[in-house]
Amino acid sequence: MLEFMDYIQHAFYDATRWNYENSYSHLTATARDLLDFETPRGLRLNISSLSSPNFATSYALGSVGFVDGSLSYLYTSLPLRSTSHSGTIDLHDVIRGYRQIQELRKPDNSRDWEEWLAGRRIDKRDSLLYGRLYLPQSTLEALYLRRISPTSQLRLSAVSDSRLRNGGTILAMHQYDVGKYSAETLYSTDGGLIGLRGLYNFGPDPRSKTREPPTLEDRIYGRFSAGGELYYGSLNKSGGVSFGGRFATLPAHRGIPLTATLTVNPLIGSLSTTYAVKAGRNLALCSKFDFNAYSYESEVVVGWELWRMRARTERKRERSMEAKLAWRLDEVKEPVMPKPEEVAGVFKARVDQNWKIRLLWEGRMKELLFTLGSSIDMKKRDQPFRTLGMEIQYSS
Amino acid sequence: MAFNFNWSPLAADANFYSRAQEMLTTALNKSPKPPIIVDDILVNELNLGSVPPDLEILEIGDLAEDRFRGIFKMCYSGDSFLTLKTRVQVPNISTQVNPLNTYLFSKPSFTSPQPLAASSGLTIPLQITLSEIKLSAFIILVFSRQKGLTLVFRNDPLESIKVSSTFDSIPFIKDYLQKEIEMQLRNLMMDELPAIIHRLSLQLWCPEYRAKEDEEKAQAAKLEEEAPVDPFASPPQDAVDARGNVLDASEISSLSLDGGSEIHSLFSQKNLLRLAALTDSHRTLSLFTPSIRDAVFRAWAGAADRNDSSGPSGAVTPSLTRTLSNLGSTSTTYTFGKGSDDGHGQLPSRPSLVSLHTATTGLSLGAGRHSRSHANRKKKTRVVNLRKSKTTDDILSESGDSETSSAAPASEPLFAKVIPEEPEDGVLTPPRSPYNPRLRTSVRPVKSPMAVNESTVLDPSPSTEKPDSEAASSTSRSANAPSSYQDEKWGANSTFLEPAPNLSNSAAPGILEQAWVLKMAGEIARRVHDEKAAREGFWQTDERDEAPPPAYQPNTSPFHR
Repeated sequence: MLEFMDYIQHAFYDATRWNYENSYSHLTATARDLLDFETPRGLRLNISSLSSPNFATSYALGSVGFVDGSLSYLYTSLPLRSTSHSGTIDLHDVIRGYRQIQELRKPDNSRDWEEWLAGRRIDKRDSLLYGRLYLPQSTLEALYLRRISPTSQLRLSAVSDSRLRNGGTILAMHQYDVGKYSAETLYSTDGGLIGLRGLYNFGPDPRSKTREPPTLEDRIYGRFSAGGELYYGSLNKSGGVSFGGRFATLPAHRGIPLTATLTVNPLIGSLSTTYAVKAGRNLALCSKFDFNAYSYESEVVVGWELWRMRARTERKRERSMEAKLAWRLDEVKEPVMPKPEEVAGVFKARVDQNWKIRLLWEGRMKELLFTLGSSIDMKKRDQPFRTLGMEIQYSS
Repeated sequence: MAFNFNWSPLAADANFYSRAQEMLTTALNKSPKPPIIVDDILVNELNLGSVPPDLEILEIGDLAEDRFRGIFKMCYSGDSFLTLKTRVQVPNISTQVNPLNTYLFSKPSFTSPQPLAASSGLTIPLQITLSEIKLSAFIILVFSRQKGLTLVFRNDPLESIKVSSTFDSIPFIKDYLQKEIEMQLRNLMMDELPAIIHRLSLQLWCPEYRAKEDEEKAQAAKLEEEAPVDPFASPPQDAVDARGNVLDASEISSLSLDGGSEIHSLFSQKNLLRLAALTDSHRTLSLFTPSIRDAVFRAWAGAADRNDSSGPSGAVTPSLTRTLSNLGSTSTTYTFGKGSDDGHGQLPSRPSLVSLHTATTGLSLGAGRHSRSHANRKKKTRVVNLRKSKTTDDILSESGDSETSSAAPASEPLFAKVIPEEPEDGVLTPPRSPYNPRLRTSVRPVKSPMAVNESTVLDPSPSTEKPDSEAASSTSRSANAPSSYQDEKWGANSTFLEPAPNLSNSAAPGILEQAWVLKMAGEIARRVHDEKAAREGFWQTDERDEAPPPAYQPNTSPFHR
């Protein structure tokens, strides 16, 4: 489940019309959410609030043998109008599962962002500031996000911790996304790392005026994307590289939605394929197969998620005072349209070839969002439960 | 002595290997592993080989039903081997890009560039075979029911080991593995293994060992210098007690010339303090005697014998001794030896009753107790060394207490044996060589068979050859040596000649006599003390002025003949 601050950050992306999923680092987001989810450890409480459209705070308290916690504050120059109350939040927004990729959007015209007043430009770029202090480790995280233009964004993140070398690290990243392709350049002070990432989407260009409607007679309607990344540590003279491709069906596809990815790391000789399908309205399955060409090591992971829906319960209406006085019943109003079901909870499970199992149950109870998880190692018969945890969130 | 291991049945047990493999596997996976190892360590193969280790008992310091203390020597160069399997994260080029693999080096994920697949690691199955293990160690094993079993390696047990692995073709990794594994093994044997064994033994024998955890730690910490043995149960301690020597650190270190570590380990600090208090009380005429647990004081044991032996008076000073021997009491022989032995080093410092007592006990108890406590000890070599070094000492030898004390244990048992000898006057003729400075040797003749009368005392030479032949041989002393030092002894005794005649009168039993003896002893002691003080300047020099003994020599001879 997304933390409240991540939720706000995504809300900021949505508000500024930034498609954060159109990036090479999100190529395997579906498999990551279905297979590599983290299970909570110990008991963790989060109390958050979007106290004003521009300001959010969050407090976390955790107990894993010892008590720790964090304080975080967030400020955006762009007022956020999204729901922040944990009782009404849409669970699809905070629980990450099968990611249905969307049709590419045409980026805003930069001239649309200009605001003129009395012959002077008065528009400002939206930015987001975020800070988080972990106690008692005294680790400070900071994030600065700025939409430079409709097609680019600057992201600066830093961590200050006395235990780190040089006392901390800073990562600067510039993202450029025009829909048809996206590119990211980054620099990290840790090792002087320089990185380059790019993703190219095959298919129609969203910037072009003419958009032919999807040919629905095709058996499969989807999009193929390919990308790569390249890193070079200028201080330790080492690097890394990987390539990947993804095919995913688009919402207009009539059949079963599916996502398949292939990533290759030629330096390490590793090859990873994932395949995920949304087998039903509430069920998604995913599998991952890793193979290393150098060591012949392979690994299989299987996972699935099950959404449990529940009909929205109508509140029993009291007989109104007027009706009582008039000695008659209230007029029965037929619901115009059936209300959509709401999510009662999501169950996620994954198991790999070593019989390491992770279970997660996320849902809402009254006004609280909770996450209950455990990781089990069946190889260790005497003590199979490695971790067991519960996380409770409340936000307003 | 050595053990003969029946090695094969151990290995023949069908379940043994599987059980051992399981235990090893769990043990290896219990402790946190370095991040480079990404999988469980599996013990793939274990073979103890066919060559058993050699275990040799070097020394058994203590042996009882509920305790044991010994030193072993273990050598092993067998054909056993051990094969481990695990998977390692190869430190390749991309994993060295630290920001890319946050999970390996605990980089903050917040500033991680979150690479998609560039950070994926290359794990390679690794197989390590440890073979040609060569061990050579001195093992100190201490067991007591209360404190469990303690096993300590005196030296680095691991001589060599051959490590072969999947990466043998890469010399860098091969060297690294070899070095790392050797270091780990050394650590395991020197630190972990004793702790594990000790904990296990505690769990086995002391269910309530939690309460004793502090003690356990303390014991483990000072195990090297102290063993949990009752000092009084061990002979050297007894001897020291009898002599009443102060055992301070310097003396202990001097003792440790030949068996330093052992003696060091035999005395606990507490008991040493008590002993020091005891000897202090002896010196200061104090009547206070600190109680030492589980100890039998010679003073108590000797009380019964005091009257008949009339030794006490004689015991105090050499001259007295001689007087008594003239009277013909059997026990005086011992007294004499004692006196000569003590007299040099001890007498001056212990003037009063206490010295009397010790001497008495020495007289009467020698047969029983000393033989029991000392006869079985093979400490002769120690005596020899010291005595040889001592030969230059002068007769009066107020010199170092430490040597005296160390010499004592060996000499005393011999006395005990000697006592039963019948008096023979024929032996009398003492080869009266002029004064011989080898005073220390005088101890030896005394212990030799001569019992009863002065004549034997006078001529110890036959005795040395007789019962104590092995002792004599061990000391590598020539046969004529005894006679010569007998003379020295005379010389030594002659120092105190003057009071002797009086004492001889007092030899009659009775309470009065005791009181008188006491008084005399005090007086003599005072005199000796004065003399010692007068000669203080000489104390530090080993070369003693031998003038006094010859001067007295004439006196002695008239007295004796």
